Amino acid sequence: MLALPGTQFRMSKRKRFWLWFFSLAMASAGLLLWAGVPLVQQHQLGVFTGIVALAIFAELLLIRYPLRPEYSDRGLWFSVSTPVVIAAIIIYGWQFGVWLDAVISLAAGVLTAQLKNTRLRWAFTNTVQSVPSAGAAGLMVAQIQGEPVSPVGWQTLVILILSLLMYMIVNTLLVSVTVAIAEGVRVRWVLGQTLLSLPRDIALMTPISFLITAALAAYGATGLLGVLAPYLALRQAFVIAARQQELYQQTIRSLGFLVQRAHPYTGGHLQRVSQWARRVAERLGLPPERCELVYEAALLHDLGKTVLDEQILNKPARLSPQEWQEIKKHPQLGAEILCDTPFLSPIIPWIAMHHERPDGKGYPFGLKGEQIPLEARVIAVVDAFDAMIGGESPNQHRPHRRTLTLEEALAELERGAGTQFDPQVVSTFKQVVQEWQQRRTAGART
Amino acid sequence: MEGAWWAVLTVIGSLLALAYYAFVAAPARLHRWRCEGLRAFARLVELRTQGRYGRSEPLAEIANAVAMRLGLPLHERRRLELAVYLRDIGMVAIPYSILNKPTAPTPAERALLNRHAEISASIAEQIPGLWRVASIVRLHHVVYKENPDAPLSAHILSALDDWLRIAENADADAATAVLKQGIGARYHPLVVQALVSELRQRSADGWVYLTRSAALWL
Repeated sequence: MLALPGTQFRMSKRKRFWLWFFSLAMASAGLLLWAGVPLVQQHQLGVFTGIVALAIFAELLLIRYPLRPEYSDRGLWFSVSTPVVIAAIIIYGWQFGVWLDAVISLAAGVLTAQLKNTRLRWAFTNTVQSVPSAGAAGLMVAQIQGEPVSPVGWQTLVILILSLLMYMIVNTLLVSVTVAIAEGVRVRWVLGQTLLSLPRDIALMTPISFLITAALAAYGATGLLGVLAPYLALRQAFVIAARQQELYQQTIRSLGFLVQRAHPYTGGHLQRVSQWARRVAERLGLPPERCELVYEAALLHDLGKTVLDEQILNKPARLSPQEWQEIKKHPQLGAEILCDTPFLSPIIPWIAMHHERPDGKGYPFGLKGEQIPLEARVIAVVDAFDAMIGGESPNQHRPHRRTLTLEEALAELERGAGTQFDPQVVSTFKQVVQEWQQRRTAGART
Repeated sequence: MEGAWWAVLTVIGSLLALAYYAFVAAPARLHRWRCEGLRAFARLVELRTQGRYGRSEPLAEIANAVAMRLGLPLHERRRLELAVYLRDIGMVAIPYSILNKPTAPTPAERALLNRHAEISASIAEQIPGLWRVASIVRLHHVVYKENPDAPLSAHILSALDDWLRIAENADADAATAVLKQGIGARYHPLVVQALVSELRQRSADGWVYLTRSAALWL
C-alpha cells in the first residue's frame, strides 16, 4: 500500500492478487532453478513419471472444503497428493520433491480446469503455492536427514511427521493469504478456519505417507499401486471432515434464514450485528475461533423470535405489557431451540443472556456484571446500537422508534455504560466504529 | 531391524484405524451431527406450535427400532431418522395464529395446515444431501389404502406420528388401539405389527417420553 501524508492509496483487490501471485511465482521459479533437473541427471525419469501419474490421479480427486460463506462461496478445493510428495522428498531428495509438486500441481490443475470448468489461473496459483511448501519441507529434510536411514525406521517416521508439518504450515499460510486477497477478507479470519484442521490432517496423512515411503523404497513407482486402497480411505476421511464442516455452516445459515424470514426487518440487522460483534471481539483480544463463535451467536441471537407470534413482532404501534412479556421470552426460547444441538452449545448461554444488563435489570435471569459472559455483553451493545441507528433503507427502521444518528447512538451507549451496557465493551465498540468511520471517509475521498 | 518391524506394525495399525475412521466412525458421526443440527429445527417447530407438532426425540428412537424390526438397512434407517426431524419443518411457513388457534381450524385453515408436508419436503430438497429424505417427508401422513407402494419408512412415520399425537392427548393404550383399528386401511399392516411389538416390549418408564418439553411452560 502506498501512503502519502493526509491521503491513502489502497491497491485494488485485483492488483494485490497479481502482486502476490508474481511474488510466489518468482520464489517458485527460483527454487526450481536451484533444484536443477536432478531427475535427468540421476536417470530417475521412469520413477518420476510413475509417481507423477499417481499424484495426478490423487490431485484429480478434489475435495471441496467449505469456508464460511461470508469469506468465500467457492470454498477451498484441495487434494491429498501431499503424502506422495513428502515420501518422494524423503526417498529421492528435496530437488525431486519440488519438481514433482510443480509438475503434478500444474498438470492436475490444467486437467481440472478442463474437466470441472474452473479457471486456469487457479492451476497456476496452486502451483506457485505448492512449490515453496515442498521446498520448505524438502530443505528441512535435507538439513536433518544426514546419513541415509532405513525407510521404515522410527527416524524416518519422525522426519516424515516434521516434514508434513512444515509442508502443511507453509501451504496453509500461503493458501490463506491467497484466499484473503482474492476475497478481500482478513488473513487471520481465513487462518482461523484453515489452521484448526491442521493437526487432524497431519494425523491422517502420516500413516499413508509412511506407507508410500516404504513402497517407493522397496518397489519404486510400481509399489505405489499397492497403496491405492489406503489412499482412497484417506480421501474418504477428508471428504467426511469437509462435509461435517459444511453441515455446521448449513445449520447456522438455515437457522439464520429462518430468523430473517420470521422477522423481516431484522434481516440486515443480523448481518450488521454479527460483523460488528466479531470486530469488537477481536479488539477485545478473544482468540480467532472465539470471535467466529461470537459472529455466529450474533447471527442467531434473535432465534427465539421465530417461535413468537408474527403479529406481535411486526406490530407497528407500541407493544402492550403482555406483548412485551412475550417478546422478553425470546432469549430463553432461542437457547431452548439449540439445547439439543451439542455442536452449537458454546453459543447457547450468549444467546440466552444477550438482554442481561450489568446493573441486574436485564432479562431473563437478572444477572449482574461479570455473571454475564463477555460475549453476551458484546452482543448486547452491538444489538442495541444497530437497533438505534436502524438500517440503511427505510424499511429496515424499527416501526415504533425514532432512528438515531451514529453520534447520537454512540452517546446513548456511553450514557448506558455501567448500567445497561458493559463500559469496557462500549469503549471498545466506540473505537471500532470510529475507525470504520475514518476508513469510510477515506474511501469516499479516494 | 526390530525397530523397523515396530514401525511396520504401527503403520498397519494406523491404516486399519484410518479405514475404520473413514468408513465406519466418521460417517456415523456425520449422521449424528446432521441429526443434532436438524433437532434444532424440530425443537423450533415444537415450541412454535406449543408442542402440537415437531416432537422428535421419542419418535426418532422408536422409528429406528421399528425399522430394525422390519429389516430396513442402515442407510434407510438413517434417512428415516432425518425425516423424523424434518417432517414438520414446513410449519414455520404457516401463520402463528392458525398453528395455535384454540378452536378447530376452518376448512381453509385445515387445507393450509395440510400443506406442511409438501412445504417440509420442499425445504428438505433444498438442503444438499437430503433430497432422498424429501420423499419420506412428503409422505409422512400417507394413508396405506391410498398409496400402499409408498416407502416403508413413510408408513412407519405416518403410524408413529399418529400414535404419538393420540398418546399425548389420551393415553398410550388408546393410541395403540387406534393403530390396530386402522390396519390395512390407514396404516401398513407390517408397520403396525412391528410398532405394537416394539411398544409392548418397552417398559412402563418408556412413557416418560410423553411428558412435554419444559420450555413449553415459558
